[in-house]
Amino acid sequence: MNLTSILAFTALTVTFGVLVLLAGERIRRYKGWVMLVASVFAVYWLQSSMPLRNLDFWLPTASLGLTVIVWVTINIPGRIAAREGGTVATRDTLATLTVVVAVVLLVGLTRYTDILITPSRPPDIVSILISLIVVAALAAAAGAAFGRRTGLLSIPIFLIVALFVIFKLDALARSASVVLRTLTGQATDQASALDLRWLGFSYLAFRLIHVLRDRSTGKLKAGALSLREFVSYVVFFPSLTAGPIDRVEHFTKDARSTLTPGVDDMVEGGRRIFAGVFKKFVLADTLAIFALNATNAAQTHSVPWTWLLVYAFAFRIFFDFSGYTDIAIGLGRFFGIKLPENFDHPYLKRNLTVFWNSWHITLAQWFRTYFFNPVTRALRTRTFANGKTLSPTVIILTGQVGTMLLIGLWHGITWNFVAWGAWHAAGLFVHNLWTDYSHRRAARAEQKALNDPSSQPVSEPASPLPYRAGLMGVVNVVITFHYVALGWIWFALPNLDLSLAVFRRLVGAGG
Amino acid sequence: MTTDITSSLAQYIAAQILQQPKRKIASDAPLISSGLIDSFHLVDLSLFVEKQFGVLLDDSELNKDTFDTLAQLAQLIRERQS
Repeated sequence: MNLTSILAFTALTVTFGVLVLLAGERIRRYKGWVMLVASVFAVYWLQSSMPLRNLDFWLPTASLGLTVIVWVTINIPGRIAAREGGTVATRDTLATLTVVVAVVLLVGLTRYTDILITPSRPPDIVSILISLIVVAALAAAAGAAFGRRTGLLSIPIFLIVALFVIFKLDALARSASVVLRTLTGQATDQASALDLRWLGFSYLAFRLIHVLRDRSTGKLKAGALSLREFVSYVVFFPSLTAGPIDRVEHFTKDARSTLTPGVDDMVEGGRRIFAGVFKKFVLADTLAIFALNATNAAQTHSVPWTWLLVYAFAFRIFFDFSGYTDIAIGLGRFFGIKLPENFDHPYLKRNLTVFWNSWHITLAQWFRTYFFNPVTRALRTRTFANGKTLSPTVIILTGQVGTMLLIGLWHGITWNFVAWGAWHAAGLFVHNLWTDYSHRRAARAEQKALNDPSSQPVSEPASPLPYRAGLMGVVNVVITFHYVALGWIWFALPNLDLSLAVFRRLVGAGG
Repeated sequence: MTTDITSSLAQYIAAQILQQPKRKIASDAPLISSGLIDSFHLVDLSLFVEKQFGVLLDDSELNKDTFDTLAQLAQLIRERQS
């Protein structure tokens, strides 16, 4: 989101909030529709331009199409919904479809005007109508194939992951660009991975996989979500581009709430938007001038300046990302939606485990829910034929390495993101070993005290002196921050050679 | 009843996770947000709760938003048992 779109969204939300305050229920009951229309428009409006003809219209349409297809897949109306106690309001569904299609057609019709919602002129209206028919056919097919066989929902999950890989892996993205350029009659020799920039797809994929997985395990019942709620959840305009990744049951609970957002919500929402704009457009954008990137890294050779680049990047990425989160949370408050927090003073944490409880919280939580916890649970309860079980160390290593590599790859399928994930996996594993060692040492001390008749039983761990504990706390925070900051060297740069050169330069060993 | 659950949970965490059977854990002490229990041991704790109390904690619930203290976890178990 740029400043213009943030200001426009703020104007919309503040206007809605004030109208709700003035008119109460008469306006509040339209909350769901306002959220839906604004979000569907935002999918098109926020999409950046791309060199491929009409792709800035087709990718947003694909986002909406995928959302509708997944909804049909998890919400087959009729017998299943009735059997599982769900409610599918058919009239509401038809009204929602009408509104979504109307917005898509309205955006498409701007082709014939001077007012464009998309960066370039949309395709002709016949093509748009054909695409809507294709989406309807795909939704019907997906519903028929998977709707009554929830055990097969891993197939659409796999397809979404495959789509994600195509868009995130440069070689595949370039090949896809060649195919699309051939279809549009554009020069294929200029095809590039950068041709495909699908706005918000990473977050959209997470939300869709979350509901598909919960439906397949039975946690989410058929008919539990209306189409209006579902589309608003998946493409909710405040969190469309940069999260946070809410859980659908939490989002719909807020969306269904009949409580009217009060002055407190407006004040808090406004405060968060202001804080977010300041963090993003003043602090982060200023730091971006001298934060670590490929150009700065190639031009900086002194040790202190290289450290400065690394520190600047660490704070730039924090202010940038947490600024966007503040804006999203602030905008949500005006609609009575309390989006989850994504950051909790991450650079003030005493170890890496707690850091990952406070940095991009909703992403880390998503991976714990759908990867780390099930894998750990499966390995922990597994008994081999000889009666042996896996050691906790092996399970922790498997879970942490897998999780951190996946989090790395989610940012982009490159060796540098793999290295960044591995860096954090190694840090978490070492911290885990250290914690385990500390526990065993404390246990030994406890046992020794119990065996010594002259000593008193120990029921609490020995507390160090307050000043010593405080000092250790500061040291731990500094160490943790530096480990994270150095990890950004993998994240910020495009290749391993450049990252290693920066590491060497930090200790005065590079040229 | 909730006190029994709290005491059973405290005993398990002290003995099996922290490996300090005599250590006392206050019922309002933060467990997850403080880093006292990490992600791995949280799964172990959920397996213990399932086995001991017959209450299932979903993978999406193993976080500080669902419970962060012994008292909150005991309350959750109590609610699901009844």
